Amino acid sequence: MAYVIALPCVDVKDKACVGECPVDCIYEGPRKMYIHPDECVDCGACEPVCPMEAIFYEDAVPDEWDGYRTTDREVFAEVGSPAGAESAGPLPTDHPVVAGAPVREQG
Amino acid sequence: MTDAVTHTGSGNGLLQLVPKAEAKQSMKDFKSDQEVRWCPGCGDYAILAAVQGFMPELGLAKENIVFVSGIGCSSRFPYYMNTYGMHSIHGRAPAIATGLATSRRDLSVWVVTGDGDALSIGGNHLIHALRRNVNLKILLFNNRIYGLTKGQYSPTSEVGKITKSTPMGSLDAPFNPVSLAIGAEASFVARTIDSDRKHLTDTLRQAADHPGTALIEIYQNCNIFNDGAFDALKDKQQAQETLIHLEHGQPIRFGTDRTRGVLRNQATGDLEVVTVTAHNEADILVHDAHSTSPTTAFALSRLADPDTLHHTPIGVFRNIQRPVYDTAMADQLDTAVDQKGKGDLAALLAGTDTWTVES
Repeated sequence: MAYVIALPCVDVKDKACVGECPVDCIYEGPRKMYIHPDECVDCGACEPVCPMEAIFYEDAVPDEWDGYRTTDREVFAEVGSPAGAESAGPLPTDHPVVAGAPVREQG
Repeated sequence: MTDAVTHTGSGNGLLQLVPKAEAKQSMKDFKSDQEVRWCPGCGDYAILAAVQGFMPELGLAKENIVFVSGIGCSSRFPYYMNTYGMHSIHGRAPAIATGLATSRRDLSVWVVTGDGDALSIGGNHLIHALRRNVNLKILLFNNRIYGLTKGQYSPTSEVGKITKSTPMGSLDAPFNPVSLAIGAEASFVARTIDSDRKHLTDTLRQAADHPGTALIEIYQNCNIFNDGAFDALKDKQQAQETLIHLEHGQPIRFGTDRTRGVLRNQATGDLEVVTVTAHNEADILVHDAHSTSPTTAFALSRLADPDTLHHTPIGVFRNIQRPVYDTAMADQLDTAVDQKGKGDLAALLAGTDTWTVES
């Protein structure tokens, strides 16, 4: 189990969470931030600082964003465990659920 | 009880006394059903995840693993491990663990403690466990602050530190846990960092493999009362110049392009950090964790600036083989039975050496 990032992050990517994460496990995708499920240590520091309230514990994702329960886990299935977002750099692609989300209106 | 295990070379032969798990284990097996209650962002979470992730490697029966803690934030650790455990008395975890390890050699015994628990109230217990070389693995979470009591200075807080109990700055010279452990005759002493999962896991592996007391100092961030205490070692840019990775048998070099190194000053015998040149490259100190003399390991432990943390070595400072208390005690009990026969505890307690106090 780990924390995951849901729809409110898409096209926002405030990244307040990145500064709070003690183990640097929040990676940037083209449209959304992703928490690495194996590198996350469940400390919960990211959850209260998200201005979009997009971060939830895996089993507490609201039903309306149910598809985001597994986006973060699945996006790393091919990437593996880079052990640190800062040195790994951004992810090349989004999860299909994220890529298919409607584009958020600016402003 | 005859001890069939002998120690030749490296490796913890004593682990053979601990029953193996029947099935392959995973990290999940070591998570308990208890809600983890540390502050969000605490370094303890990272250490817990690393330990839970490492334990399956040992492949020991969970019922034969014990985590003993004292008092403090770190000491909540046993609740979260799906093993046996004891949240014991302030500073006394090494004493309780000593009793367990010596009387139940089929257990893998771990101590979880902090800079307050281990070095203030528990200072005596820690040094005596280390000198006895009891087969314990001690994880000392050092955040340089009292977190549970909400932010007073600890025995590892730097001079001048302003806290709730030192409003004008701490006057105390801090303990260096690695120096203290080496001075207390520890046979295995290492230092690692909470957020470096790979290094932390590798250090746990080496400690578990050591017969006798292994002390690991873990630099741990208290993000509420002492946030960023170890940032100089965690920031990727800064760490290049501040962090020294110790590896047995390797020259002690660090910095961008490994242009800095540790050299022994021939006049004083002390160690100093130098820029590596063609002239001095051959003289750069090669790390020898197995040296019988603790002198160089101690000198390495003094290398870091306690205020800026510049030139902080991490890794295994010292790893030597010497008689393990548990083994020696078991042997002595065997000898006593051989020479004097099985004892009678009731007779001993009743005794013959009695007297009457008359008014």
